[in-house]
Amino acid sequence: MNIVSLSAGCCLFATGPLTEPVGVVHYLIVGAILFTAGVVCMALKRNALGVLMGIELVLNGANLNFVAFSSPYLRGAGSATLGLDGQVIALFVILLAAAEAAVALAITLNFYNNHSTVDIDRADDLKG
Amino acid sequence: MGNESMISLSGMVMAPVLAAGLPLAAINWHSVLFLLFASLASIFAVGVVLADNVVRMALYLVFSLAATAGLFFLAGAEFIGAMQLMIYVGGTLVLLVFGVMLTAQAPFVSIKPSAADRALAGLAGSSLLVVLLAAALSVDSWQRPGLSEVTAPTATPLGMALLGMRVDGPAAGAATGAVANGYLLPFEIVSIHLLVVLVGAAYLARAKRRRTPRPIDAAASAVSVVEGSTRVELPAALPPRSGSASALVSGGSK
Amino acid sequence: MNSVSDLGSIVSRSLHDTLALSLPLFRPELCLAVTVVLLLLCRMLPVLKMLDSAWVALGGAAFALFYAWSDLRGLPGWLGGDALASRQEIFTGLLVFDSLTAYIRLLLMAFLVLYIPFTKVSGIPDREDGADFYTLVLGATLGMCLMASANHLLMVFMAVEMASVPSYALAGLLKGRRASSEAAIKYAVYGAGASGIMLYGMSLLAGLLGSCHLPTMARQLAGLAGAIPAGNLGGVEMVLVLGGLMLAVGLAFKLSAVPFHFWCPDVFEGAAAEVGGFLSVASKTAAVALLLRIAFGLGMPVAVLPGADSSSALAGQAAALQGALLGDARHFMVATIGLMAALTCTLGNLAAYGQNNMKRLLAYSTIAHAGYLLMGVAAAVALSGSHPASARTAVSAVAFYLATYLFMNLGAFAIVAFLRNALRSEEIASYAGLIRTSPGIVVATGVVLVSLIGLPPLAGFWSKFLIFSALVEAISLSAERPLMLVLLVVGGLNTVFSLYYYLRVLKVMTFDPLPADRPGEALSLVSFPGAIVTALAVPVVMLGIFWSGLYACAQLAGAFAS
Repeated sequence: MNIVSLSAGCCLFATGPLTEPVGVVHYLIVGAILFTAGVVCMALKRNALGVLMGIELVLNGANLNFVAFSSPYLRGAGSATLGLDGQVIALFVILLAAAEAAVALAITLNFYNNHSTVDIDRADDLKG
Repeated sequence: MGNESMISLSGMVMAPVLAAGLPLAAINWHSVLFLLFASLASIFAVGVVLADNVVRMALYLVFSLAATAGLFFLAGAEFIGAMQLMIYVGGTLVLLVFGVMLTAQAPFVSIKPSAADRALAGLAGSSLLVVLLAAALSVDSWQRPGLSEVTAPTATPLGMALLGMRVDGPAAGAATGAVANGYLLPFEIVSIHLLVVLVGAAYLARAKRRRTPRPIDAAASAVSVVEGSTRVELPAALPPRSGSASALVSGGSK
Repeated sequence: MNSVSDLGSIVSRSLHDTLALSLPLFRPELCLAVTVVLLLLCRMLPVLKMLDSAWVALGGAAFALFYAWSDLRGLPGWLGGDALASRQEIFTGLLVFDSLTAYIRLLLMAFLVLYIPFTKVSGIPDREDGADFYTLVLGATLGMCLMASANHLLMVFMAVEMASVPSYALAGLLKGRRASSEAAIKYAVYGAGASGIMLYGMSLLAGLLGSCHLPTMARQLAGLAGAIPAGNLGGVEMVLVLGGLMLAVGLAFKLSAVPFHFWCPDVFEGAAAEVGGFLSVASKTAAVALLLRIAFGLGMPVAVLPGADSSSALAGQAAALQGALLGDARHFMVATIGLMAALTCTLGNLAAYGQNNMKRLLAYSTIAHAGYLLMGVAAAVALSGSHPASARTAVSAVAFYLATYLFMNLGAFAIVAFLRNALRSEEIASYAGLIRTSPGIVVATGVVLVSLIGLPPLAGFWSKFLIFSALVEAISLSAERPLMLVLLVVGGLNTVFSLYYYLRVLKVMTFDPLPADRPGEALSLVSFPGAIVTALAVPVVMLGIFWSGLYACAQLAGAFAS
């Protein structure tokens, strides 16, 4: 719970007094929070579907960064932007994530059929 | 984490806006909306981590990714925001929810990690977050406040770029000598990728009737006989080359 | 911008770039893409259903091999010309066609042409699964070709995904088996996580450098290093290191380099030996190529700038100047790659000791060989700043290693697959006394394993020799002397370690007594499986004797690091 208030406080701190326009850094903070939540999710969850959800969060954190870097008016005057490149990458990441989720889900269901569980900590037939 | 605490948390974030007593005209509503969507995305992302129930996790993830779409709209990437809602929230997450429903038997709905795992993950996660935030705050050119005016929509240049033609010109302040990449190749090649992935997912998902045992199944039966068949319930003294043994072992492939 | 004539010129430029420049250099990939579609169409028509999908796939791969070969022959450096001028960016800079692209593509296509008959004979994708299996294999190989030619972060990520996602499905090919589905879920979960982390690292790098196009990123990086006094980069340096390390996570996962190797033994043991062979050879080849692309793409600005109107001599000088500024970036890369190489090699060899399952042993052997390859890459990057000619030699060593590795390792996995069919076991103990019933296969195994150790008359010796001589050159010439010395010592010791566990397999095959219930001859060389094993083992011997032709091709590939 304290992580929640920490992240909320961080956003508030970064946005300033709400009269300033937001910049790239604010998006990066949200992206970092999503990425961290995703990584922790991947490491912590034992349900295979929970791990997949963590991966979606990680990809979204990266996507937020790309969109922020490509946005023409999040960056102050004079600094370089990625232009359309960032947006195109974000678009393709959304597509590739869909493809990856489809295969990962099929594999998970297959695992479920064979092992009668979705707990990946119980996937220990192969020692390692 | 229950729904009530979620509501109270959103209230907690919005409260400073109202309590600060700012004159309404001075408030940058773009920033207010950003704060709203950013806090929703972050809070629900953390909710995904903290929730133990996999159905709740899926729900929080939907909210988090929908709020991210709002952030895309605010950044001027309206097409990406729309795709986020349609493909991600409307497609990928529904797929995941299907997966949740298909496997949601009572013992698997909430698999709780141990307290030690939680503590370790919390520690590692917070240190990762600190490093990433330090990185985000350390580059000067990222700290400048953005512009307030809204520029032209990007959907048309984006569509043209996907056809390999860049009509948007070089990005503001782009590197000298930068190439304007057209994106015809990924646009086309991703279709092959999606086809391949579709074939793969369909292969894994469909059941098949097998008439002749594959060599590997026979190998598996031999292995489990050798190991005293701890995993598969096999009569211990099956002859190694019997077809029925492999049919038993490959029972999963129906 | 908005006038019609402008749009017209943009359209015509785009058409010219796509049709005249890019597609002719993209023919092998096009062949694969067409074959994937054909494999799907064949299932729809009742007449074509009679056709075995293996032959369709083999036909497509043969066409692709032909085009890849003619592309390599068409390079200006073929038969001793100036190979340096062959770099050409295609598809508006998304991909790059140069000698490394052509060489790696040739290797991948040659792999396919050998691999498809092997799987056809070993019978793991049976008639019913064949179309799906070959669709996945060809789709993954298409992604690997893109990995070898990626010149833009979007293509890097997309190629890695295109190579990985079909591989996850391949690992779960035996869908009724517990082990196979466990291998697939482990591979998919870890792989997707690693590619997500890699994407985040890419976003940091791209945002900092303001571009996703690798050569532009290198120029921006040089500008950044030049603008700020040395050692005073502060926060920027931290972001660069963070982004670089996250990018390295994804690459290390594909290479199965320590500390991201843990998936490899489990996946290889759980998946079929045929799939293990694919992941071990093709996937590693492409990953090494991608590592070379990124390390040289970010560490050495290319001399010929696309669209630059200055003369090439001026551009060359500018590139040399920028290259000098990137010394710190190269130092970081050499340290990361070198450390990983030493750990990967040592851990792979040590962990192989206790293995009883042949596929698991080969998995650790794959990890160890990734370590040797990384040593070569580290030496090449270390040399690239000051001694471009030696760096080219080091890259050629890596390229030569990849070619010999194709035959050795695919041979090893083929033997495992055929012996599994004959003996119904993949445990090393079950190979006891094979020499009495099937001496031919034991000789072939001996050739392959001794070559994997790197002993003299065989191909594996030359590849190890070339890697070690590149390291020696890096010790004498580059600034990274201590690290290179450590790598040389670690590599030499590891070669000695590896003697034991490879020879143990041969000892079991020859000296251990034959079990009483062994049903006659397991595998004769005069049969289809025997022919496949022979076709893979003979090149290992031949390349050990007549290695100069292959080395000439490898030298051509090395020329990309100009």
